[in-house]
Order: sequence, then structure tokens, then C-alpha cells
Amino acid sequence: MFKKFDPAEDIIGTQQLKSSVQKGIRTKLKEQYPHLGDYINDILPKKENFKQVKCRDHVEMIAREDGVVLFVKPRDNPYIPTLRLLHQYPFILPHQQVDKGAIKFVLNGSQVMCPGLTSPGARMTPGLEKERVVAIMAEGKQHALGIGVMKMSTEDIRQINKGIGIDNIHYLNDGLWKVTTVS
Amino acid sequence: MADVAPEDGGSAVKKDDGGLPVGPQPGVSYPISVHYCKECSLPVEYCDYGPHPEKCRKWLETNLPELVETLATSDTPEAGEGDEKKHQKRGGKGSKPAATKKAPTKAPANVTLQRAPRGKNKSVTVIKGLGAFDIDLKVAAKFFASRFACGSSVTGADEIVIQGDVKDDLFDVIPEKWPVVDEDAIEDLGDQKR
Ligand SMILES: [Zn+2]
Ligand SMILES: [Zn+2]
Repeated sequence: MFKKFDPAEDIIGTQQLKSSVQKGIRTKLKEQYPHLGDYINDILPKKENFKQVKCRDHVEMIAREDGVVLFVKPRDNPYIPTLRLLHQYPFILPHQQVDKGAIKFVLNGSQVMCPGLTSPGARMTPGLEKERVVAIMAEGKQHALGIGVMKMSTEDIRQINKGIGIDNIHYLNDGLWKVTTVS
Repeated sequence: MADVAPEDGGSAVKKDDGGLPVGPQPGVSYPISVHYCKECSLPVEYCDYGPHPEKCRKWLETNLPELVETLATSDTPEAGEGDEKKHQKRGGKGSKPAATKKAPTKAPANVTLQRAPRGKNKSVTVIKGLGAFDIDLKVAAKFFASRFACGSSVTGADEIVIQGDVKDDLFDVIPEKWPVVDEDAIEDLGDQKR
């Protein structure tokens, strides 16, 4: 989704948000990612203002006062953390682990196919439903290499074991990865 | 259980029950600080998948020598392109070529074991990664040969092949012989496909 994201072209504008709107976004993030808990106050301190960055294709980003991008909201999707934020707080998202062989495909922007999630090197968090936002982890690696949205539940991936398991939304070295800060 | 490593660098955070971690992990303080490579911008454990792992290695040797092993044991050795002349530019003493020989403390390195088919009904065992623990590969190959009474030889930069399927035994034999290699640092890669 962010394979070709280019800030010069794709960012429409930045706006400051009213504090009531900021509060609403904080609440929404906590609802969506219950494990965030009080860490939300470290990520988006109450005393600081964060800003909203509007982009093409109805993509919206949340950036800290200093411009560091923390969350993105693609059209029709919930807020997703950026990979750098996820690396700092890996528990924001539930984890799904691909086998080693799938790493290069994920880093190429390919969708995650079911067999890459069911082979011996892979692991899945049970009980995750379709549409859940997940961290794409990899066999033998500590840090997430991507973020995706489940196209089937964990159990269906295991049972059906073919087709797309996770929609790859954001991955290391894609266009969004290269955007570290916005002004 | 103290198997959640807050420290960065290679050995995956895994739980014994086969599950993946859920929620903040006890004993880990957040935010986790991640080592990003200044050459390719990725977490250093992914340098091998970046555009120029050779450059990354140079950068790592200079800046994070304790993490060089994360690259050394990768299964995607970038053998091509290793044009030595290229690396000599930018002269000076800054870049010692791979002279970073230091005590293998808590190396984030992994030893990998894999069974590979040979011939109709035979298997061999491929061991990679011992070199990253400063283990002399020739000595190791000899040791395996006498221990398992079969052929064993050094077959690559950091690779030993044992004639025979001894993978299961190696999980005990290796840490016994070289205590620097923790059993948890040995990874089972399963069977190599034909
Ligand atoms: Zn790291
Ligand atoms: Zn790198």
C-alpha cells in the first residue's frame, strides 16, 4: 500500500488539531490497541500537540510535534502504527511469524501467502479474526518486518492453507519507511 | 522464565509454549531501542536483505562490532560483488578488514543444523555458524568424524558437512564440546528439500 509513497507528491497538508479532536484520537487508539494502555502517554504525551497529515488517496497520518510519524490511517482501515513505532512497542499489534523463506517476499511488498505462515519455521497467534491488523514477524528475527491485515482468521489460514493470508500494508524499506519525519 | 531478551540482536524472543508474545513482556522496558543500520536504514538483522550488505558489514564492523555475527551467520551470503578493491577506497586505518577478532562473549550468533539428502537413502548433516563462535572448523570436523565414526569435512566459509544423519545428537554434543555455544543458540533448520 505504501510501496511508492512519496512525501513530496503524496502529502497534501498538515494541520494542527483541536485538543478535543486529539483526545478523541487518543481514545480511539486505546480502544483499538488495548495493550497500549498507559504507554499511549509516552507515545503521544498529553502535554504535547500532535498533528494530522492529510495525504492522497484518503490516507491520514498522525505525527508528533517534532514531525515523527507515529500512525497512519489508510482509507477504510483503522490506524496502524508505523514500523519504527512498532519496533519500540512490539506489543501494540498481535504477532504472526513467517518462515525464513518468506522474508524476501514480504520485503518485496508481496502479500503473505498461507504456506509461509504454516510451515515449520512459522508461528501464529491463535484466535485472530479476519481484518485484524498484525505485526509480521520472521523466523530467527527479533523485529517486525512488516504490518498487515489478516485476510482470513488464524484458524482458516491453518486449515485452508492456500491463497493470501495477510495483506501486506507496510514493510521495511517501502515508501512509508523512508518518511521519518514530516514538517 | 527469563527468556524474553530485551537486548537487541538476533536471537529471537520466543516462548517455550510455541506461542508468540502477547502484550508488554515482563522484564522488558519500553521503548525498546533498536539498532538501525546507518547504511541501509533497516534493523541490522535485516541488512542481508537490503541493497548492499557488503557496505553494511563495513559499517557494522566499525560501529557495532558486537553485532557483526548477526550478518555472519545469515543464510544469504553475498558472495558475488565482493570486489576487494572497492573496499579499499576511502583509505585510512578506519576499516580493518574483518580483523575484529574478539572474545565471543554472549554472541548473538546462531549455529544451524540441517539434514540434507545424499544419494538414494542417505542423509548428511550440514552445520553452519560454528566459526562465528571462534571455533576452529578443521578441528571441529575432525572431532565430529571421530565422535560419529563417519566422514566429516569443512565445506564452506563457515560450514561443515557430516556424512550421516546426526542432527539430533548434535544438540547435546556441540554444547558439551564447546560450552560457548548454548543449546538455545542451535537452530534446527529441518530437512533440506531435494
Ligand atoms: Zn536490532
Ligand atoms: Zn545495513
